Parts: sequence; C-alpha cells; structure tokens
Amino acid sequence: MDISNYIYLSAILFVIGAIGVVVRRNAIVVFMCVELMLNAANLAFVTFSRINGDLGGQIASFFTMVVAACEVVVGLAIIVTMYRSRRSASVDDASLLQR
Amino acid sequence: MFNMALHVGSTQRPEAVLFWVMAPMAVLAALGMLLVKKAVHSALLLAWVMITLAIFYIAEDALFLGIVQVVVYTGAVMMLFLFILMLVGVDSSDSLVENIKGQRPASILAALGLGGLLLSLIARAVTNVDAVGLTTANTAGNVQGIAQELFTRYVWAFEVVSALLITAALGAMVLAHSERKHTSQRQLSVDRFRQGSLAQTAGLPASGVYARHNAVDVPALLPDGSAAPTSISPTLQARGDIIESAPFELAPSVEEEN
Amino acid sequence: MFTSPILDYSLLAPILIILAGALIGVGVEAFARKEQRAPLQLGIALVSVVASFVQLLRVRNVRSLKAAIDSVAFDGATVFMQGSILVLAFFALLLIADRGNFVAQASAIPGSQDEHSSIAEGKSQTEVFPLTLFAISGMMLFAAATDLITLFVALEVLSLPLYLMAGLSRRRRLLSQEAALKYFLLGAYSSAFFLFGGAFLYGYSGSLSLTGIATAIDVNSGNDVFLLIGIVFLMVGLLFKIGAVPFHSWTPDVYQGAPTPITGFMAACTKIAALGAMLRIFYVALSADVVMWRPIVTVISIITMLVGAIAALSQRDVKRTLAFSSIAHAGFLLTGIIALNQSGLKASLFYLVAYGFATIGAFAVVTLVRDSAGEVSDMNRWVGLGKKSPLIAGAFCLFLLSFGGIPLTSGFIAKFSIFTAAYESGNTTVVVFGVLTSAIALFFYLRVIVMLFFTEPKSDAVTVSVPSLKVKLVLAASVIVTIVLGVYPSLLLNSAQSFASFLR
Repeated sequence: MDISNYIYLSAILFVIGAIGVVVRRNAIVVFMCVELMLNAANLAFVTFSRINGDLGGQIASFFTMVVAACEVVVGLAIIVTMYRSRRSASVDDASLLQR
Repeated sequence: MFNMALHVGSTQRPEAVLFWVMAPMAVLAALGMLLVKKAVHSALLLAWVMITLAIFYIAEDALFLGIVQVVVYTGAVMMLFLFILMLVGVDSSDSLVENIKGQRPASILAALGLGGLLLSLIARAVTNVDAVGLTTANTAGNVQGIAQELFTRYVWAFEVVSALLITAALGAMVLAHSERKHTSQRQLSVDRFRQGSLAQTAGLPASGVYARHNAVDVPALLPDGSAAPTSISPTLQARGDIIESAPFELAPSVEEEN
Repeated sequence: MFTSPILDYSLLAPILIILAGALIGVGVEAFARKEQRAPLQLGIALVSVVASFVQLLRVRNVRSLKAAIDSVAFDGATVFMQGSILVLAFFALLLIADRGNFVAQASAIPGSQDEHSSIAEGKSQTEVFPLTLFAISGMMLFAAATDLITLFVALEVLSLPLYLMAGLSRRRRLLSQEAALKYFLLGAYSSAFFLFGGAFLYGYSGSLSLTGIATAIDVNSGNDVFLLIGIVFLMVGLLFKIGAVPFHSWTPDVYQGAPTPITGFMAACTKIAALGAMLRIFYVALSADVVMWRPIVTVISIITMLVGAIAALSQRDVKRTLAFSSIAHAGFLLTGIIALNQSGLKASLFYLVAYGFATIGAFAVVTLVRDSAGEVSDMNRWVGLGKKSPLIAGAFCLFLLSFGGIPLTSGFIAKFSIFTAAYESGNTTVVVFGVLTSAIALFFYLRVIVMLFFTEPKSDAVTVSVPSLKVKLVLAASVIVTIVLGVYPSLLLNSAQSFASFLR
C-alpha cells in the first residue's frame, strides 16, 4: 500500500482539528482540537521518517509529545482559573475585551 | 507485527488491511469529536484517535513512539483532560445555537477549502515517493536508535525541555495553589476548648437588654452590678461609645411597690 | 558504541546562566520567607541577566556552528540578538519589580474574601521572576536555534511563561484571565501550524536542520509541493508570534489585558526573538528559493503596515493603541526579511533595539498614569497630562515620535536604514507603502501629542504618580537611548553592521 496514505490521513486530521478550534465553544474542547492538530503533525513526522529512512522524525515526534504534555498542564490551569472566576468554560463568555 | 513494515513500497496486505480498517475509524472519531455536544464524549473520541495513531506508529516501525503515545499522550494527557472536564462541569455541553451569524457555513467552506487544497497538493507531490524504510536505521533496535540520536545529536534540546517542565509545574502551582489557612469547623471547636480557661467556650455574653434600650452599645451586667466589658464590641469600647445602663433599668421604686 | 557529545559550554553559558538564575528563583519561592522574596528574586534576576551579558561580551567574537552539536549557531547575529534581549530584559525586570502590578494570590477568586485578605497581607506572586527568566532563556535560544526541533522547543519555552504571566494582573483580573486564555489558545493553535510546517520541511529535505534544508533546496531533490506547504505553515506560526496580519487578533486583547510590565516585556523582547528566528530561517534555510515566499511575505508586510497604522487611529485605549502600533512595526520589520541582504539584516537588528527601548519606555509611562482605582488607559482621560507632569508626558511624546519616525529619534534612523535596504534589493513597492503608512501613523501620534500638551485637562482624578527609582531608571535609559541613537546612530549601527552575519 502506498505510504503516502498516511500523509493524506495526517492532512485530514489536521484540517479537522483546525476547523474544530474555530467552531467549538468550550475552551477545553478547543484545546483538544489543538491536541488533534499536534497528533496529526506527529503522524506526518513519523511517516516522513520512514520515507527518508532517518530517525530524526521520530525524535521530533517524541519532543512534540513532551512539549504537548507541558502545554496541556499550563493550558488547563489557565482554563480552570477562568472557570473558577466565571463558572463557565465557554469562549463566548470571554468577551470583556472589546474591539 | 515487526515484519509488517518491511518491504515498504510494495503492496503489503497486513499493513494495507490495518490502514483501511483503522484510518476511516480515526477520521470518523475526529469528526465526531468535532460534532458531539458533550465535552466528555469529545475527550473519549480523541483518546480513540490517539490509540489508532499509536497502532499506526507501531506499524510504521516506530515502536518506542507507539508505546510512548499510549502511555504518555493517551494515558496521561487525555486522562488529565478528563479530570479537568469532570472538575469544570461534566454536564457542560455547547449550545447548538451559534452566536456569530454565518459561522457554521463559513467554517464548513473553510474546512472543505483547506482540506481540498492540502489533499490535492499532496496528491501532486507523492506520485513518485519511494520509501526507504527504517530497517537500516533500526538495526540496533528502535529504542537503541532513538537513544543514540537523542543523547548525541539532540541532547541540548533534551536538556532545555526540562525548563519547560519546570515552567509547567511552577505555573500550575501559581494558578491553583491557595495558601489560606484551612481551619475546619472541627479544628475551630477544638481550639475553642483548648484556650486555657473554659470561660469563653460558650461564646461571649450578649449586650444587655433593658426596659427601654437593647442596642449593642449597652453592656450586660455582671452579678455584682458592674458592666461586663466582654459583652460590647472592642471597637465601641475603643471609641468610647458605651452607654450606661442605669437610665434604662426599671426604677427601684416601681419594683418595691410590687 | 556511544561517544559522549561535546558541548561548547562557554558559548552556551549565557543561556545556562539565565536558566540557573531561574532555578535559584524557584528555590527561593520554595524556601524563602514571604517578606524576603521580592527583593531576593529581583536581585537574583538582575544578577543573572548581568552575568549572562558579561559572558556574552567575553565570547562575542567566537563563531561556531557546533556549540550544541548542530542545534545552536553562535554567529554575529546570535550575539547581537541575545545581547539586545538581555539589555531590554534588564529594564523590563525593573518595571516588573515595581510594586503593585501583580496579583496578590492567583488562585483567589476575583472579588472574594480570600483576595481581600491576601491584598491586606501585602502578598504578591513573586513567581513572575523565575517565569520571566525562563522566558528570557527561551527567547535567547529561539534567536540562535538552527534545528527545527530546537526552534519548536524554544518557541514553547518562551511562550508558556508569557501565557501564565498574562493572567496575573492585580487589577481588572477578569480581563487579565481572559487575555491569558486568548493568548494561550491562539498561541497553541499557531504552534501546531508551525509544527506541521516543520514536518513537511523535514519530509522535503530529509533533514531537520536549517542548513540541511538549504542544501536540499539548492540540489532541488525533494518534492516542491512539500516545500511550499512547509514554508506556508511554518510562516503561520512565526507570523503569529510577531503579530502580523492576519494573525494579529490576539495582540490588542492580550496587550490590553496583561499586566503592563509584562506587556512591555512581550512587546520588546518577543519581537526580537521571533524576528531573529524568522531572519535566520529565511536567510539561511530558504534564501535559495526566494521566488516561492517573497511575494507572500511582501503582501503580508504591506497589509500589516496598513492595518496597524489605520486601526491605531480609532483606538480609545492607550494599550490597544500601542498594540496596533506594534503590529505596524512588525510590518516594517518584515521588509528587512524581504530585503534578504546584509544591510537588511543590519537594519533589522538596529530597528529591534530602537523599537524595544521606545516600547519599554512607553509602557513604563502607562504604568504611571493612575487614578484611585488603578491604571488609567482610556485615552480620553489622558487629556492635558502634559500640564500636570511635563517631564513624563514629554518622555511619552518622545517615544511616540520615535514610533512615528521623526528625525533626531532612533525610530527615524531605524526606518531609514530598513527602507534603504529594501530599496537596494529592488523591492520598491514595500518601501512606498512603508513611507505612506509611516505618514498615517505619524498623524495619529501628533494628535496624541496635541491632546497631551495643548488641551486643557478635565477635572478628573487622573494623575501621574511619582515614579519609583526603578521606573525612573527605565524611563531615563529609554529616553537617553532614543535620543542618542537618533543623533549618533553610528554608536549602534557600526556594531550592528559588524555583527550582521549568519553562519551557514
């Protein structure tokens, strides 16, 4: 089977994640869509690593996982803080900053 | 399963079957994550996508990465998401009514546009892609190969990531750790009885109640007729706002007559 | 057989010293008593920055691509950019240390009894100091990284502390928390784009390092389409960080909501780091295939300049105005990338320093204008401040004139050099638009100056509080640098010239 199928899958998942960030209103779900985008990039890295015969892509993927874990901690802390102040996790309610 | 990824480039049935079974499920799960109302369902669908990707990593000769994906990403990160979702509101669901007009059709259009563009571009590019495969890179084993790269070429990035981990821990502490003294009710009552004398255990006496005055600025009387200082707020005492109770007591002559 | 890698610690020492300072700061948070924390943290932070700068000066003439086995390039541009980040960070730290900017206890719900009691106790979240030091180390690494992995890690190291600190304002906490959330979500979104682009560049070239990508472009070995996708997505991530249109929507909101010292720090130092990384990526990795990306960057630069200048005209809030002016400056700085020659690089380096000092000075003034409730950033209430405190209002006007590019200020020299460099490389369109938008922006700045000095003040309670010693230092330094670099630009321009080179 054509290895490029993995690249198509990665692109599809990335686009779904990118649109999810724009469409969803719950801040946690928005962040989960960002995680989906990072996973899609990881799949692309691993596939290109296999195409090029070089482990660099897998290393990049590994670093992405570590960075994503740290980002999740910080992001969820910020979201929890917002929730505690407003009792709501919706990004629509975060509208104090006007144009 | 290790041999699945060999002979790359030719039609290898096990890997093809694996891909064509799991990939549509992954895409459906991702779309589901986008479309379901409840946030907890989204989290579970994302966990499904991540497990599917872990299976793909193993199929693509990235054994270490596949296991790390399950353990770290799905196991730790997604569970953290689920914990926070439970805290923030397990019933929280987005309302289906969209505030911004035209957002939904615009986003569907953008999705189709961006997706179509990317897929067509990739289709143009991959007509002659020849995969080298990772058999040579993995000669000593996948874990050994990654270790070799990680600790020689990428050791600096590896060490700097520790700064990231410390920042995350520090940030979580700053935002979530409260330093107030959590004295429970039990502790408060224990402290009250351990004060040294039992005089105040029942609480302080209330201010005096008389025939013609019962506000907080008139003290109660002790058995010997003098005013009880603990029955008045210290602020009033400091300001000198205490009133004598004598004018408000019943006149003795009235009592004696009865 | 495993051979230990050899790291050149003397070249990595500037970053390592800052990291060590941050770690000591974390230790101080854990073990020091509450009253001692703030002065101790400030001392540690300033000492680390100064020590790092001294070490940088000592190794400023070393050139090496092997400082960290192909991950970090130590060349002239690295030295200059790390030096400017350190100098600006020193003044930003002085601003951060000014009392009363940061929340008493971040975990207390706004308006609750907990918050009142923590303010009454005089608490302050002194964790901002180690977080700032981590951000500084990330910025220094981002400007020096030559490897896609190191770039991504450095991007996150510099961003995460900023996301956290944007939510730690003492006053108007809901606004501040909202700004942090917005910054975080949009920042994570753009980092994901950056990573996806990196994946495709890796797929194109088979190598994660910038020199490897450059070689692959020269040889034209891979699929051009992967290169295009890679460049476009990578640019999305980078343009977000500098605040270029159409990825600028976070800038006004975050600049307005974050605590003012953090806004100053972000505006000055993040720009240097992000532009440093962009310059390195475009000059080292992608310079062979200019045709692919130059039209896109030209269009983005022009739109950014226009949006920044025009939107600034209609703002009522000083911090949002400064944010839009910062967007316009991002547009001007992109012309340095379009120029793709040595004078473009030199001009960009000079511009970053000049803009950095004026920005920190401007935000220092914003921290001083207060009424009984806290900082006042509504422009209409700033009317007539020139009569109440002419010196500080004068300094603010000087910074605005520098933004606008009036001769005798550093801003003029910066704009002149960068437009000359772009003109030399043959990109006249962008120069024309640059001059036009400078004129539009200048009109706005002059209006603000008239409002400050030539209008009667309302009987509002707005005053300019007497600056503490730290803020006085920051203001003095910014004013002196802005004027001196405007009158004797060669002081910095010559060193920018000698340091403006990338090792390939």
